[in-house]
Amino acid sequence: MNGGYMGKILWVDLTVNEFREEAIPAEIYEKYLSGTGLAAWLLSERIPTGADPLGPENILAFVSGLLTGTGSLFTGRWMVAGKSPLTGGWGDANCGGTLSPAIKRCGFDGIFFTGVSEKPVYLLIDHGRPELKDAGHLWGKDTAETEEYLIAESGGHARVAVIGPAGENLSLISGICNDRGRIAARSGLGAVMGSKRLKAMVLNGKKRIPVYQRAEVQRLSRQCNKWVQLQPPFISGPMAAYVGTIMRILPTQMAMEGMVYKILLKKWGTVSMNQMSVEIGDAPVMNWKGSNRDWGIRKSLSVNPDAFKSREKVKYHCYSCPLGCGGVCVTKGPYGDVHKPEYESVLALGGLCMNGDLESIFTMNEMLNRAGMDTISAGGTIAFAMECYEQGILTREDLDGLDLTWGNAAAMITLVEKMIKREGVGDLLADGSLAAARKIGKGAESYAVHAGGQELPMHDGRNDPGFNVHYYVEAAPGRHTIGAQLYYEMFQLWKRVSGLPRPPLFYHKDRKYVADEEKAVMAAACSRFMNVANGAGLCMFGLFLGAARIPAFAWLNAATGWRRTPEEYMAIGAAIQTLKQSFNIKHGVEPRSFQVVDRVVGRPPQNRGANKGRTMDIEKMRSDYWRQCGWDPKTGHPDGEVTPSRPSH
Amino acid sequence: MRSSPFKGEVGGGWANLTEQYFIPGPQRGYDMSYRITETCNGCGACVKLCPVGAITGEKKNLHLIDSLLCIDCGACGRICPVTAVKDSFGIVCERIKRNAWEKPQIDLKTCMPCGICIETCPVNCLAFAEPVLLVRELHAYPFLKEDKRCIGCGFCASECPVHAITMSSPSVTD
Ligand code: SF4
Ligand code: SF4
Ligand code: SF4
Repeated sequence: MNGGYMGKILWVDLTVNEFREEAIPAEIYEKYLSGTGLAAWLLSERIPTGADPLGPENILAFVSGLLTGTGSLFTGRWMVAGKSPLTGGWGDANCGGTLSPAIKRCGFDGIFFTGVSEKPVYLLIDHGRPELKDAGHLWGKDTAETEEYLIAESGGHARVAVIGPAGENLSLISGICNDRGRIAARSGLGAVMGSKRLKAMVLNGKKRIPVYQRAEVQRLSRQCNKWVQLQPPFISGPMAAYVGTIMRILPTQMAMEGMVYKILLKKWGTVSMNQMSVEIGDAPVMNWKGSNRDWGIRKSLSVNPDAFKSREKVKYHCYSCPLGCGGVCVTKGPYGDVHKPEYESVLALGGLCMNGDLESIFTMNEMLNRAGMDTISAGGTIAFAMECYEQGILTREDLDGLDLTWGNAAAMITLVEKMIKREGVGDLLADGSLAAARKIGKGAESYAVHAGGQELPMHDGRNDPGFNVHYYVEAAPGRHTIGAQLYYEMFQLWKRVSGLPRPPLFYHKDRKYVADEEKAVMAAACSRFMNVANGAGLCMFGLFLGAARIPAFAWLNAATGWRRTPEEYMAIGAAIQTLKQSFNIKHGVEPRSFQVVDRVVGRPPQNRGANKGRTMDIEKMRSDYWRQCGWDPKTGHPDGEVTPSRPSH
Repeated sequence: MRSSPFKGEVGGGWANLTEQYFIPGPQRGYDMSYRITETCNGCGACVKLCPVGAITGEKKNLHLIDSLLCIDCGACGRICPVTAVKDSFGIVCERIKRNAWEKPQIDLKTCMPCGICIETCPVNCLAFAEPVLLVRELHAYPFLKEDKRCIGCGFCASECPVHAITMSSPSVTD
C-alpha cells in the first residue's frame, strides 16, 4: 500500500477540454516527494524550452503535500508551480488554507493545467469526476465574491482556488486565492491562470488519504502539539518593539530560539514583528533607503501588534494547524470582516512607503486580496513609484495627477485601485517595478528593488545577510520563505541532521557579515530543508519550532512506510534544488542574471540607522552557495548529469 | 502544432517517457470496499445515504457498490434493513436504528483546534463554531453542526491526532 500519497495526478487540457489521469510511479515520490518536488520533476520534463509563460505550453500545477491529511500537524499548505511570467524561470508560490487536503480528497496529489481555454471556465471536481464549466458570468468578479458563489453553487462545502481581476488582467504580480483571500501570491502565477482563462478550481472530494502508520503519525503529532500549546502570559504589543531596540543596541547576538517566535505567532500572528523588525533593522523602510531612524517606534506605533489584535474577532487556522497565526478582523469599511493583514503586507504597504495609516493598510490589503494581487510586490512597486516621484523621474502628470509623496495613504489607495484595473499609470505599474522601470527609463531601474524581476520581501539582508543569499540564489528569486541565518538558527537542523554546524549561543554581530564557508553550508541546508517541507506541505512557521520539536522526518517515515534518515531527506531536498536550477537554465534564465541591487547589499553602506556601515560580499556568498550545491561556482550551473545539453566540468 | 504534455505529440525524450506512465481509469490507495450480497431486495435505502455516490441499482433489483469509489464509511451496512451488506473484511454488517447511530462528542479541552476533523467528514456536517461558542482565547472550535446528516462513520474520531473526539450513541449520552 502506498502511504501519504494518492499515486496519481490529473491533467486538464483547457484547449480541448480533456482530462487524463496519470499514475505516478512510486520511485518518483521516493526521489522527489510530492508537492513542489513532484511539480519540479514534471514541469522540468514537460514544459518545452522557450514556452511562453502566458501561452498554452506553460503548465500550471496545483499540488498538495506528501504529509497533508495524514494526521501530521502544520501540513495544510498547498503549492502552485509553473514557468513564471515575472522572472521567466521557475515559479512557485505557497499558501495555507483548506485547499491542500481537498486536492488529495479528490484523489490526486496534484492537478495540472495545460492549454488555453477559448472562454472563461472553471474546473469542478465532484465525486471524482472533473468537468469544465462556463465562468463567463464570474469573470471580473473579485476572489471573495467568486468563491462564495461557487461554494454555494456546488453544495455549500467545496474548497475553491480562484483568481481575481489582477490575474484576469495578466498582471505579472498577481496570485491565486483560497479561503477568502489567503493567497499564493508570488512568482506571478495568477497571470498564468488568467492567461489560461481559468477562473477557479472547485473541489468536492471525499476520498480517504492512505497512511502507512496513522497511529504513529498521530503519536508524533501529540508530542509536537505539547510544544505548540506551551504559551506563557506575555508582554504587550508596543513593548515588543523595545525588545527589538535592545537587540539592536547590543553588540552581541543571541541565537534565535524558535519557541520565542512561536509564542509571538500564536498570540498575534506575523504582525507581532511589525515594530520589532524595524527596530532590529530587519524591515526595509522607504524603499530600502531609510532606516529605523526614519520610521521610529513612535511613527510605527499605529501598526503595533495590539492594534491588530484588538480588531481580531476569531483566530484563523490553516488545515491541520494547532497554532493559528491568522485571524479574522473587523473593519469599519465596506468589506466588513477581513483576514488579518500579514507582517509582509503591513510593512510593504506601511513602512516601505512610510505609511502609518492603519485603516488604509487594512483597506489596501483587502483590496489586493480580493483582486488577487501580491501585497509584497504591490507595496514594493508603489514604494518604487514614490521614489521615482521624489526624484522627479515620474511627474504628477505621469501619475494621473496623484501626489505620490511618502506616506500619502489616500494616493496609495487610488494607485492600488488603478493597478488592479490597469487604468492609466496603474497599467504601467501592474507588472511590478522592474517592468515599469524599463518602460520609464531615465535611470528608474536603480530604484526598483528586486531579484530577477520579483520585488523583495520585507526582510533586510543588511541585517541578516542570509536573506540576501536566498534572494539571489533561489530558482524563484526574491523569496523570504526559504532561508536566512535566523531561520537556520530556528530550524535547529543540527539536532537531527549530522554534519551541520551548531551556531554558538551568543556571538558578535560582525560574524554574520563574514562570507565564510559555514554561511554557505547553512544556506544550502535551508534550501534543502524547505524543499523537503514544500514536498511535504509543511508550514515554515511550524518548522521554526525546531527539528527536535516538530518531527518532520519521522512523520514522513511513518506516513509513507519508508525508512529514511534525515540526511537522506536532505539529499532529496538537494535533488529538487538542482531540478529547479536546471529548469531555469533550460529556459534561458542564467543564475548570474539575478542582478543584485546595490542598495540591498549595502553598497554604499547606510550612514545611519540599525544597519549603518553594513555591507557584504554577496558575489562570494553566492559562489560559495553554488559550490555547496555541487554546481559550478562561477556560473551556478548544475553539472552535466542534470543538464545533458551542457558539457560537464 | 500545439504541444500537450500528456499526449506525446511533441518530439523529444519526455513524450515517450510519459506514455508508459499512463494507466486507464482510476487507481486507489485502498483495495478494500464494502459489498452487497444476494440478500439485497433493492429497497435503495443505502443509495441515498452513500456520501460518495458509490452505490447503483434499479429499484427492487440487486444493488452494486463501486469498489473504486467506496470509502468504507459503513453507512450502507448500518442502514440496510435486510443486512445484505458485508464490510471490507467480509463480515456481515449489523443493522442499527438510525437514531441510535454513534455521533461524535468533542472534548474542547483536548482539542487543539486543527480542523482536521472538519475536512475529514465525508458529509461535511462538522464546522467551526460561531464565536459565541468560543471557550478559549479567540480560537474557534469544531462542533456537530448538522447532526441529522452525520452517518456515524467515526472518521473524525479516528483522524483526530489528539483523540479529542469520542463516538457514542445518543442513548448513552442523553
Ligand atoms: S502557522 Fe499560520 S500559516 Fe502556518 S499552518 Fe498555521 S495558520 Fe497556517
Ligand atoms: S481533529 Fe481533533 S484537535 Fe483537530 S479540530 Fe478536530 S477535534 Fe479538535
Ligand atoms: S461520524 Fe464524524 S466524520 Fe462521520 S459523518 Fe459524523 S461527524 Fe462526519
